[in-house]
Amino acid sequence: MNQGYPVTIYQEPGFEQSCLLLGWSEDAGDLGRGVTDYLNSKLKGQEFGKIEPEDFFPMGGVAIEDNVARFPESKFYACPKQELVILQTDSPLAEWYRFLDSVLDVAEHHCRVKEFYVVGAMISFSAHTTPRQLLAVANSAEVKEILSQYDLNTDMDYQTQPGERPTLNSFLLWSAKERNILGVSLWVPIPFYLAAVEDGQAQKKVLSFLNNRLNLKIDFGDLDQEIREQNEQLARARSRFPQIDDYINRLESNLMLSEEENGELVKIIEDSLKEGA
Amino acid sequence: MGIKFHQEPQLEDPILIASWPGIGNIGIIAVDTLRGALEAEEFGEIEPWDFFYPKRVLIRKGILEYLEFPSSRFYFKKIEGRDTIFFIGEEQPTEMGRMYAEGKRAYHMANLVLDVAEKFECRRVYTSGAAVALMHHTTRPRVWAVPNSDTLIAEIRGYDNTVLMSDIEGRGRHGNITGLNGLLLGVAKKRGLEAICLMGEIPVYLQGLPLSYPKASKSVLEVLSHSLKIEVNLDSLDELDRKVQQRIEEFYRQIPLEVRGQLDRLKHVAYAQPAEPGPITEEEEKRIMEDVEKFFKKPGDGS
Repeated sequence: MNQGYPVTIYQEPGFEQSCLLLGWSEDAGDLGRGVTDYLNSKLKGQEFGKIEPEDFFPMGGVAIEDNVARFPESKFYACPKQELVILQTDSPLAEWYRFLDSVLDVAEHHCRVKEFYVVGAMISFSAHTTPRQLLAVANSAEVKEILSQYDLNTDMDYQTQPGERPTLNSFLLWSAKERNILGVSLWVPIPFYLAAVEDGQAQKKVLSFLNNRLNLKIDFGDLDQEIREQNEQLARARSRFPQIDDYINRLESNLMLSEEENGELVKIIEDSLKEGA
Repeated sequence: MGIKFHQEPQLEDPILIASWPGIGNIGIIAVDTLRGALEAEEFGEIEPWDFFYPKRVLIRKGILEYLEFPSSRFYFKKIEGRDTIFFIGEEQPTEMGRMYAEGKRAYHMANLVLDVAEKFECRRVYTSGAAVALMHHTTRPRVWAVPNSDTLIAEIRGYDNTVLMSDIEGRGRHGNITGLNGLLLGVAKKRGLEAICLMGEIPVYLQGLPLSYPKASKSVLEVLSHSLKIEVNLDSLDELDRKVQQRIEEFYRQIPLEVRGQLDRLKHVAYAQPAEPGPITEEEEKRIMEDVEKFFKKPGDGS
């Protein structure tokens, strides 16, 4: 396959060494986009490169999101003071290995990345009042050892179930391991009824870890305020809709809901949060 | 991206038999049964990561232990005068949600398989797949054979239970072979390698079911083993066929009586030359197809 090199670098970021953070644009709870947007905004990330989309996405039109046409994007940002590289990207739908190889090319050859983190959300049947957990999967024992000093669950066991496929995060971890780059995928279980909206608590869980690990010195006052507001909106929805309060109470007691109840909970919570916004 | 050889067997004038999954897994079951019966030995594989999305991950105690990809493996068997290479692809390298492999990646994979055929100086390549036919599941499937050269037609006419495109009712001499089973035939032609695709018939109303169709695999295997002059025990295929036929019968009983009545008429289809009148008229054939399509059309399909 004689395809051209899909990466464009506008300006060399000039890192001696760095850490890469990758967030997928269409994650549950808006986790990937939320975390990368927040860091870019706080750390004043400067875009320095991109991956061209035509080999990795079907060029059959555009998606419409919130009334606006959007096109697949994969953009690299540099935060030089913090030695941090941020990649916010749509998930490729073809040529996955070549896409991930391109990411790792930029990491290795343009940014001298020593370790990377990729963020992912897991759908959970728990209530939003349950504190968010942060789980980590490492691509080597060496990086797992580094993580042991942080508040993370690093003992996850998992294997692909029939009918399922591994995540791109696992594919990326494996590809990085082939190049001896240390990598970690960070996972946060997100309450299923917050999957289509922002889950500030989940975002903060990831950001707090990165803040400690990379010594970013970020003040999360603004994010804490957003979380408080969302919790108040959720509390109002509970008092306005007794059945929603009942469903959440049951989730808090580790009880399952029926499919219909799940659907009703999702709809009312999403509508309530939209109204509040 | 390329081929990794675990060993380099010394083979004389081998043939290569390649197969990938497809409708009813007809080709791959036939080829894999033959490979198993001959106890062919693995000697190489196509590196998978450029072609496939991984199929399995194992994470233990928070560490990614391994990632497994669909395999594309080569096997060989030395049989005096009939040395054979098998290529078995666990998946076709599809992309962007398409059902069959097409485009650059498929073309590249076809070329890699034929690189091996040329490296070992194969004299012929066989591929194998499915032919969707207006037939009943209780009848013996024929094998449609498509060569990539005129010079092979006379030989194919000597195969039992096998037809060329020009022999198939209403087809003229034309058709398509989708996916890698077809592409390999074309790429072999481009390289000057002779190749034949053998396709076992599957009833039109079964093509969308998630079932294998070993009855047709058996037909393909009979042709292959005759061509290779190899005796193959077909007991395991017969056993598999019995089980699948039971499931087909269960499914068949759920089809509304009116549609089933139309399908039952396919039991009486006689294979005739297009010019000769068959026991089912063209008009009736059209009605059967309309009924079949109406019944099997998924809710929400089309307008």
